[in-house]
Amino acid sequence: MQDLSSLPIKVSDPWKDPAANGWDVIDGRTIHNNRTLEADVVIIGSGAGGGVSAEILSQQGLKVIIVEAARLKTSDQFNMDEGEAYRDLYQEGAMRATKDAGMTILQGRAVGGTTVVNWTSSFRTPHETLNFWRDRYGVDGLDRASLDPWFAKMEQRLNIEKWIMPPNANNDVLKRGCDAKGWHVDVIPRNVSGCWNIGYCGMGCPTNAKMSMLVTTLPEALNQGATLIHSAQAHQLVIEGDTVTGVIVHPLQNDKQPTGATVTLKARAVVTAGGSMQSPALLLRSEAPDPKGLVGTRTFLHPTNFAYGIYDKEIAPYYGAPQSMYSDEFVFKHGVDGPAGYKLEMMPMHPGLNTALVGGYGIDARQQAEQLPNLAASIALLRDGFHEDSKGGRVELRDNGEPLLDYPVNDYLLDGTRRAHLTMLEMQFAAGAKQVRPGHHDAPYYKSWKEAKDGIASLDYAPTITGLGSAHVMGGLTMGQDDSHCTVNSDGSYKYLNGLYVIDGSVFPTSLGVNPQLTIYGISARNATRLAEALSV
Amino acid sequence: MDQGINRRGFLKLGAFGSAMLATGSGLALLSGCASNDGPATGYRYFRQQDIELLTPLVGAVMGPALAAVNASAEDGMKAYDDLLEGAMPGTRATLFQLLDLLQLGAARWFLTGTWASFAEQSDEQLQQTLADWSAKENSIARMALKGLTQPMHMAWYVKPEAARSTGYPGPPKKILA
Repeated sequence: MQDLSSLPIKVSDPWKDPAANGWDVIDGRTIHNNRTLEADVVIIGSGAGGGVSAEILSQQGLKVIIVEAARLKTSDQFNMDEGEAYRDLYQEGAMRATKDAGMTILQGRAVGGTTVVNWTSSFRTPHETLNFWRDRYGVDGLDRASLDPWFAKMEQRLNIEKWIMPPNANNDVLKRGCDAKGWHVDVIPRNVSGCWNIGYCGMGCPTNAKMSMLVTTLPEALNQGATLIHSAQAHQLVIEGDTVTGVIVHPLQNDKQPTGATVTLKARAVVTAGGSMQSPALLLRSEAPDPKGLVGTRTFLHPTNFAYGIYDKEIAPYYGAPQSMYSDEFVFKHGVDGPAGYKLEMMPMHPGLNTALVGGYGIDARQQAEQLPNLAASIALLRDGFHEDSKGGRVELRDNGEPLLDYPVNDYLLDGTRRAHLTMLEMQFAAGAKQVRPGHHDAPYYKSWKEAKDGIASLDYAPTITGLGSAHVMGGLTMGQDDSHCTVNSDGSYKYLNGLYVIDGSVFPTSLGVNPQLTIYGISARNATRLAEALSV
Repeated sequence: MDQGINRRGFLKLGAFGSAMLATGSGLALLSGCASNDGPATGYRYFRQQDIELLTPLVGAVMGPALAAVNASAEDGMKAYDDLLEGAMPGTRATLFQLLDLLQLGAARWFLTGTWASFAEQSDEQLQQTLADWSAKENSIARMALKGLTQPMHMAWYVKPEAARSTGYPGPPKKILA
């Protein structure tokens, strides 16, 4: 039986004493009086887009202030505890969901953003996706050939390489199943350096092997003189005429409520890097000019469906590098804009997330919970946003200004889910599973591929009872030259305000067909470099 | 309390209440019945009325899981309260809107198929209620079941003892350097 519970992890935390590092780190919880600060650039959000931007801009000699709503939490406090992780590192305590509860949304909320809790998978954007952006949205200068040098730069910066250790048992299921069916399968590149192969990426890497923004670009930006204000929420942009001149920030207490003070930041340029949902919400709260009412629309999720397989031997899906094998057999099978394509991966399963996704009640739910050590959890990420029936969701504001995503589950997604369920059940049976069930409220465990095919044909593929989730929120501030569909230019500048730049994943016109972090790093590095050059003139 | 719905009452109903009204189900929803009471003793978020309403349901949904570690429905309810600490006020508001609705017999009948409150039902009746609720085909009933019970599982199984009861040995030991 695999058991890591007595393995000691003692690794020094680079954030242990920020002042000793010469870092200017301000804790919003201590701010009770109003104050004003000035900089060349204010960056809202410290995740994939914000971290990369902060490093590049500060390396150019510009004065940068990074504002992050989350409270600073670093490796000394990464205890590999699910409850602590969801509470302190995830949006809405891992209870974020679409408005009609149809899809669970896992998104990070941390200094370092979602990169602190992601599962390290790093892929360059598919040619097909970038060509679609160029052809349908007029995205300029971001074709694959133009982006490849930026991908190479970020792959080197974050030590991205194909994982060389053998896959854990969970990922080996995908490898064996795809090999048996003759489907494409390959090794996932990961942003890790000296990884211990223990599998707690999703709770904050306790060894600092994961090259998140927290241990790479943010420390370097601070070394270069940037200031970080954490536990402080960017409430609204300061807009004078048609120019953004700063940001109104609300420092937050431990309970995430405002301290009551206001911090006013003034800058020559403001970068919004809060990610999908947060960046659009900021513009909505600020009533930024938006003549065609596009802000927040075209928000995509890679809606992810699930298949659970039980094996005679132990799988231990809670230990080992969480994602190391993938299959692109079905991503573009029906063309770029046909019926939904999907990428196959596995997901790590710890008890809280497992039982939340599986659901149910009473004895049946308990029996499934007790099978965790023998469970392999496969996922299929639907490539949404390409077909005309896949327009994604819309970010709106709750009464109190918090973002809420209205993304109904439609027939396009349900059809893709049904086909993906069939694929994953076939794959897991081919890998030797004794019983497999799709993530659907009404589906029992099937004991054979034939039984599964018949069973799935009789399932009611309807919203809510069909299990769907997302770990990749994208779009909402569409990039491209086409003004009738886009609000952001290809260089990241917002079309309707001077001094405002969107440098995060909210600029994607569609979803990607790959896990998004490397795409965000590459595009952000390119646009942050342009901004740095423009501001240095 | 009024029998009709004034505008403030309507706006307070939120997604669940508004969706129910839109179905034209003809419910006479009570306005102003949302409680502004503070949390119950020993809880950070749930109000006394929420504890009385929901604890029996937690017992029914999580029963075998709780029994496996000699825990009670109250322990499950406390765990649910703990989970809410990570949420934002907006997240909690959506849950509380649903709980306020479930205080009404007519809403319980519409959403779960049973008029009686959870506290008035035996264990066996609650299992039947959950079965009936799970079989309902109206989208709002499905939303309510998922919205209410998905966090119950997460809340319970993130507790280390409950987590280990699944066969998960637990994480490595973090030692400060």
